Amino acid sequence: MIRSTPVLVYRIVLAILFLALIIALFRLQVIKGEYYKQVAELNFVRIRRVPATRGEIYDSKYRPIVVNIPSHNLYLTSGKIHNLPSLVRFLSAYFGITEQDLEQLVFQQRFKTYEEILLADNIPYETVLSLSEMMNYYPELSFRIGTTRSYLYPNHFTGYVGRINEDEYSQYKQEDYSINSYIGKTGLESYYEVLLRGQDGKEIVQVDAQGRSLDLFRNEGSIEPLNGLSLVLTIDNDLQEAANQAFPAGRKGAVVVLDAKTGGVLAYVSRPEFDPNVFMQRISPEIWAELNGKDRPMLDRVIHAAYPPGSVFKPLTAEIGLELGLVYRNTRLASCVGGMQYGNRFFRCWNHGGHGSTNVIDALKVSCDVYFYDLSQRIRLDVFHDYAYKNYLCVKTGIDLPNERNGFFPTTSWYHEKLGKAINIQGHKINLSIGQGEVLTTPMQIAAFYNALANNGLWIQPHILQQTVGRGRLTREEVQEVKTTRLPISPANLAIIRDGLWAVVNAPGGTGANSKVSDGTVYGKTGSAENSMGKVTHAWYAGYLVTDKPEITVVVFAENAGGGGAIAAPVANRIFNYYLGNREMIRQVVPIPANLQSNETPIETPPVESIPAENPAPSPVTGEAEE
Amino acid sequence: MINRKKFDFRLLTALMILIIFGCVAIFSASTTRIGDRSSTQNHWWKQIIFSVIALGAVVAMIKLPMPVFDLAILPLFFVNLLALILVLFTPAVNGSHRWFSFGGINVQPSESAKLLTILIVARSISKEHLTEMKQILYGIGIMIVPVALIIIEPDFGTTLVFWCSLLAMLIAADVPLFYILLIISPVISIVSSFYLPAMIIWLLILILLLIRFHLSWVAVTVASIINTFIALIMPVFWNSLKDYQQNRILTFIDPMRDPLGAGYQIIQAKIAVGSGAIGGKGWLAGTQKNMNFLPEHHTDFIFSVIGEEFGFVGSLLLLGAFFYFFWRLSVCVIDLKVRERRIATAGIMAYLMFQTFINIGMNIGLVPATGIPLPFISYGGSNLLINTVAVGVILKYMNERGFMK
Repeated sequence: MIRSTPVLVYRIVLAILFLALIIALFRLQVIKGEYYKQVAELNFVRIRRVPATRGEIYDSKYRPIVVNIPSHNLYLTSGKIHNLPSLVRFLSAYFGITEQDLEQLVFQQRFKTYEEILLADNIPYETVLSLSEMMNYYPELSFRIGTTRSYLYPNHFTGYVGRINEDEYSQYKQEDYSINSYIGKTGLESYYEVLLRGQDGKEIVQVDAQGRSLDLFRNEGSIEPLNGLSLVLTIDNDLQEAANQAFPAGRKGAVVVLDAKTGGVLAYVSRPEFDPNVFMQRISPEIWAELNGKDRPMLDRVIHAAYPPGSVFKPLTAEIGLELGLVYRNTRLASCVGGMQYGNRFFRCWNHGGHGSTNVIDALKVSCDVYFYDLSQRIRLDVFHDYAYKNYLCVKTGIDLPNERNGFFPTTSWYHEKLGKAINIQGHKINLSIGQGEVLTTPMQIAAFYNALANNGLWIQPHILQQTVGRGRLTREEVQEVKTTRLPISPANLAIIRDGLWAVVNAPGGTGANSKVSDGTVYGKTGSAENSMGKVTHAWYAGYLVTDKPEITVVVFAENAGGGGAIAAPVANRIFNYYLGNREMIRQVVPIPANLQSNETPIETPPVESIPAENPAPSPVTGEAEE
Repeated sequence: MINRKKFDFRLLTALMILIIFGCVAIFSASTTRIGDRSSTQNHWWKQIIFSVIALGAVVAMIKLPMPVFDLAILPLFFVNLLALILVLFTPAVNGSHRWFSFGGINVQPSESAKLLTILIVARSISKEHLTEMKQILYGIGIMIVPVALIIIEPDFGTTLVFWCSLLAMLIAADVPLFYILLIISPVISIVSSFYLPAMIIWLLILILLLIRFHLSWVAVTVASIINTFIALIMPVFWNSLKDYQQNRILTFIDPMRDPLGAGYQIIQAKIAVGSGAIGGKGWLAGTQKNMNFLPEHHTDFIFSVIGEEFGFVGSLLLLGAFFYFFWRLSVCVIDLKVRERRIATAGIMAYLMFQTFINIGMNIGLVPATGIPLPFISYGGSNLLINTVAVGVILKYMNERGFMK
């Protein structure tokens, strides 16, 4: 009978375990069954998300750009729906929510039917009042107060937030987003989402209908929400407004003003204007049609579109010629007779009267095309390409905004692939030398390049965030390092180019005379770029202001507006003059207001978007002004 | 080649009843009602397919000649160990590396490791002329390899299953009970050390039991000193832990401390089961289930659906079916005469019993949440397959008993 001893042990253990289960079940279901029935019916034990307040956005003087304002929101608890057709009628009548919308929401939420879904936000208070009585018929619906974003002026850099969509939700739900979450869709709202959003809190609700605690947990746990960090930008609201005013009404284009010393963006204008607030409400078909119309107001022309740079590109061609030792300060090249014969083709200069034979300074001053045509014949295309990239032209600057465009500069292999091996690259180089042909740059790239010329060749990554305030203070460096590099140009050659840019503005006969100011010295270059978008040229101006030190760099770009000297240079002039007139105010350092101070160390990690590599492969994009 | 006289049809019947019960519960658990509409996910249908595959595997295994079966186990065990190592390099799902994913099908190597480890341990400790000490050391020595790999994943709950089946196998190997007592005594000492009177009573009982087993005075003294030492050192060790470490352990023991995590799930499961009361709300009529308070109620929390919809009566029926099933397994242990097979059967029985108790206990708030599914009832292909095959092994042993070595 030794054999049966183990079996006896098993059977005793089996009996004890099952007896324990049966006793526990009896207590739970028979003795306390009625109690749990009530708890279940009211289902008053649940976890509720306590949303964190999103960080606000301020200019460099802590004046608001984006703030939170209260809003009325409508929520649905899909597990409580008892009459679906009636609910569909109600929602479509008052909130324009169709049956498909609702079914999709309910389907998405099918594993969490007890959780509230945000159905509609920013509901006018009058609507809330007029509907409050009818709400009794729909226990599954409830109004609650939340917050929404208000964008204090139209702009292209803040971007906007929106409800998380299905793709984003499936991508980010690991990071604690709920189906009701807002998420930055574009601009800074998207780039600095990690800093702005904060962390939602949680609380456990365990009360019965009379408000008594059910006492199922000994202590009611909760996790406090952590509010998002507020962003302080390098933008100066006054200068932003001045730059916006300076740009001619009705034109499309962009204005960038950089702080020469830091590379911080002081003003960032893209026209036509775009008001992010339109995305805070249900968008009417008319507005939607306008947003997607031919003027494309949503397009950020500063970094999301690349254009032929025209003559503002010429300093780069000059830089290469000087650096390769092909020309010196006084080297004169082919005589301009209103153009230059190359093979069986006559390449025109913009001035059909001709400039005669010029040196580099005069060629920049009068923007003589022929000088650069001639120079381009001595530069290998791939060397040209490498120099463009080393000067951060036709490559992302890495500004702290999403979806920046690369721009484009062709290589030999690109031409061979595109046009066949037989093609003559020399003819294409002639166009490239004056910023025409396949080359495309964004206004921001031009601004960063000219800013480096102002800074003795030190290229500073343009950036728009200065620091964070609110729950935690992070300096620019703690969030993300600002990259700086020396451009490949010797001080002596840089001085030659600077003399050329000085002559453009200040010497008689210079094309940029319209940007000249009296209280300081402006160095600049105009451009009138032919393009495939229309017969009229794009007007360009790029230049910087120096007093006792470099002050600001301004780039003005106007789509199909005409000549750079006539159209763009006066805009820059107004900005330079505004700056000189208000320098004290713009340059003053404002202490952090008491309500934005904090000594807490924030836990956020820096944003995900990384700074682009030194020389990325040329992108195969050739189209103009495409998003 | 089913031997009609020897084949255990009653065990097979009990198994089928449990699987069918599971499919019915899974159908309900994956049905959601919104208003007067309802939609059902196809989990129940997949579970039926898995059941057919599993039963097919059992039939194939029974037809397999015994020598081939015996030969196959060791290579399979090593392949399984390799899989346990490889799985550590897969991307983490919910913070642990447990699953291989092949085109939507997830495979957990720790599932098959349970069965194969039991078979290997049974073989090694059933060898004749092994001293009792060697049996224990061999058992622990083999067991520790998969257990260590599974702890790294990390999957703490599963490793407990291994130790339970080891204890059962040692008992089946006729290792005297006082050895078992010595093995588990440190665990009880640790637990009892948190309450001084409990500790003193436990140490007294231990000494009395050891004397009762006619152990030498030296052995009794050594065992008592070791246990006393462990019980005394525990509070010191405990106080040296950081607050968050203490919290993590306390939350494991008492999930109600963490109302936003594990405690919340147990409370929701308890409300669901409790609200089923005596008669239940009826099949597909569960309200708690319908609100989806529990994220995984077709897997780990399937019992909450059964308790809610079938009530106390239904729960008793399910427990009855399980009880009968385990009773049949204990009969098998008596009937099997080959030592290795008897020990293996005991191990399989213990691991199924332990999982059943832990899972149901978790659903009614009796034991902490550990993420162990309910055998034969919870949705999950690899789990169902391995559990069924484990029973299949016993069916095969029963079918071929009489071939005495």
